[in-house]
Amino acid sequence: MPTAVSSTEAPPSASRRTSWLREQRRAVGDVGPLLRFRAASVRGRSRTALVLVTSTMLALTVVAAWFPAFLPEGDERRSDVLLLLPSGYVGVLVIAMISAAASGGGRELLPREQGVAYPVSATTDHLGALLMAPLNIAWIVQAWTLLGATAYVVGPRWTLPLALAPTLIWLAAATAIAQVAAWTIEWIRRGYRGVLTVRLITIALALGLGLLIVTDNLVKVLDKSPTVRILFGVLYGADAQVWPWLQVVAALLAITLVAVSLGAIAAGAVVRRPARDELREESSVREARGNPTSDFVALLRTDRVAIWRSVPLRRGLAVLALLPGLVALAGGLDWLMLSILPGLVASGGALLFGVNAWCLDGRGALWRDSVPVSPRLGFASRAVVLMEVLLLVTTLTLLMGAVRAGEPTLSRVLAVVCCGIVVTIQVVATALRWSVKAPFAVDLRSARATPAPPVVMVGYSARLAFSTTLTGMVFGVATFAPWYWSLLLSVPFVLFSTRKLISTSNAWADPETRSRVVATVAS
Amino acid sequence: MSQVSSTAPLVDVDALWVRFGPVDAVQGIDLSVPAGTATALLGRNGAGKSTTMRVLAGVIPPTGGLVRVAGLDIRQDTLAVKRLTGYCPDVGGLVPRATPWEHLQLAARLRRMEVGWEARARDMLERFDLGAATHRVTAGFSHGMGRRMSVILAAFHKPKVLLLDEPFDGVDPLGVEATMEVIADARAEGAAVLVSTHLRELAVEACQDTYVLRGGQAVAQLPAAQMSGEEGARAYRSLLD
Repeated sequence: MPTAVSSTEAPPSASRRTSWLREQRRAVGDVGPLLRFRAASVRGRSRTALVLVTSTMLALTVVAAWFPAFLPEGDERRSDVLLLLPSGYVGVLVIAMISAAASGGGRELLPREQGVAYPVSATTDHLGALLMAPLNIAWIVQAWTLLGATAYVVGPRWTLPLALAPTLIWLAAATAIAQVAAWTIEWIRRGYRGVLTVRLITIALALGLGLLIVTDNLVKVLDKSPTVRILFGVLYGADAQVWPWLQVVAALLAITLVAVSLGAIAAGAVVRRPARDELREESSVREARGNPTSDFVALLRTDRVAIWRSVPLRRGLAVLALLPGLVALAGGLDWLMLSILPGLVASGGALLFGVNAWCLDGRGALWRDSVPVSPRLGFASRAVVLMEVLLLVTTLTLLMGAVRAGEPTLSRVLAVVCCGIVVTIQVVATALRWSVKAPFAVDLRSARATPAPPVVMVGYSARLAFSTTLTGMVFGVATFAPWYWSLLLSVPFVLFSTRKLISTSNAWADPETRSRVVATVAS
Repeated sequence: MSQVSSTAPLVDVDALWVRFGPVDAVQGIDLSVPAGTATALLGRNGAGKSTTMRVLAGVIPPTGGLVRVAGLDIRQDTLAVKRLTGYCPDVGGLVPRATPWEHLQLAARLRRMEVGWEARARDMLERFDLGAATHRVTAGFSHGMGRRMSVILAAFHKPKVLLLDEPFDGVDPLGVEATMEVIADARAEGAAVLVSTHLRELAVEACQDTYVLRGGQAVAQLPAAQMSGEEGARAYRSLLD
């Protein structure tokens, strides 16, 4: 029977509020132990590598934020960069949103399988995802670019730290806002007809962007972006106008805090909804196909289903195929710039699963290795499937990019096509070498999982981005040369990558090496 | 240790040694399983049971010792040994995104099974109550369903050596019954069966011989009958400490 609240009792709403606040404090407190737990799993040489990578990244960040201020450039170039900064702030937000949304709400502080044993709240999970967001080469490069551009605009003044502060806080704010958007999209996706709704929203946004480009209004819209106020904050800081600078900084801090809090609420809402499409995929019935006609076909089929029946991988590949293509369309990239895209796309694809390719077999790896087939054939199947997936997404990107790239002369087309093929073989060779050298036990069923620990992923992505961008630049130059130069340039690249693939295949054929990989991914 | 059976062994392990970095997982195990018999590997976690099974399946190369399967040296003829064996691993054993039927198609192709293998595959799926899940992606399987499917994959090509690592783990009574039938059928057809399990009573029911492993070594070889009942439980308990 309900009774009235006693005069000594707190009203129910106040009690709920106190309990909620207590839970949030507890959730924030849980982040530390989880971080320590995660860090404790990095031992020996990996720990040394982690310290080295972190120190290098921090040092590079300091360099990126200071060095450009001392570059001797004319006033005109400086003002050009100044005008572009507000759009740069928008760019950071958009990329952070896409990255977080594509991974179903950002990276996990603790993998799902390990986390089930602990009472980890949605808020802790959200804060963990925020902390993991910067462990992404796209985020890091953008942060360096923004900080560098800010320093360049401000120049070598004692007020540079003040001027950098709004940009730094915006990076935090943009990450938090992106996280709110990612949780919201995930919440919608998990709802009734959620996948369809998200697809319709994406198409509407793409059409909106397309309309802005066609009507030549994109620049006008970007000029009206509210991020121009961040630039004001930068300039106030540069001129030591403390009071208006403080107002901008306070506003950005408030935005960050509000976004972090909203993200926690959104994360809680997501947890209460099951991941419908993933569950549907896992319980789906597949029509039987005819028996495979050869061993290789049988292996190819098994390797292909591991990718195309995975919702997170399909989604990641779709984003990779469409996003750079849309950027190329929006920016009207020419053939020279288009040659950079295959590297980005192929690297992104490899980073979805290719750098730990055998983890796709999961706990089936032990059984697969017990069936009588040449290990070299198994390796070849894995390489072919990875290659065809990367070539597919690269082709889609290039087709989109080619629409506004200008006249498609033979030398231009051939340079970009050769670049796509060369870079794909290069990425496949590197990714499979890493897969054999450093396997990890990962459950890629979750969109939020990564094929290797986040810090390792930063190293992988930096190395892939570096090598593929260099290759892209070589073929970019080839767009200006006679057509046969692209073919000639391809030969050494292809030979080098093929040699790498053969040496990795030999390593895979070694029973000791194979057993280590198989035991690790199946554990 | 005394030899229990006098028939020629299909599985013959002599001083098997397996080292993982600084850890010696298996330290000089001798083991033999004659054709037409079933042998159980018993022992606590980390005793070396699964590692021994993985070596016999050709998944892990031995660090030392001699392992022969049907007279073939596993180090020299790994692929040939894999053709003769059927292996149900202790963990998982299924490719998450493939269906049971796709697993069977892959195995049938790589094992060069004769036309008509489908009938036996369907029959086994029905016996293990997986008929309705034949074309379902295995990522959504329960632990018990996964175990049952792994037993099917190990046995459906009628291997000469059947290796079942923890086949009863988390399996319902009907699944246990079907697994017992598979072991009995394999024995009847002259196969050597090796079952690794924690469940002593089920091991006793399924097998004739038992090996008790402790700390990577075989500490006893006994007829299964001696491991049954309370007397057997006491004997087993004393061998574990």
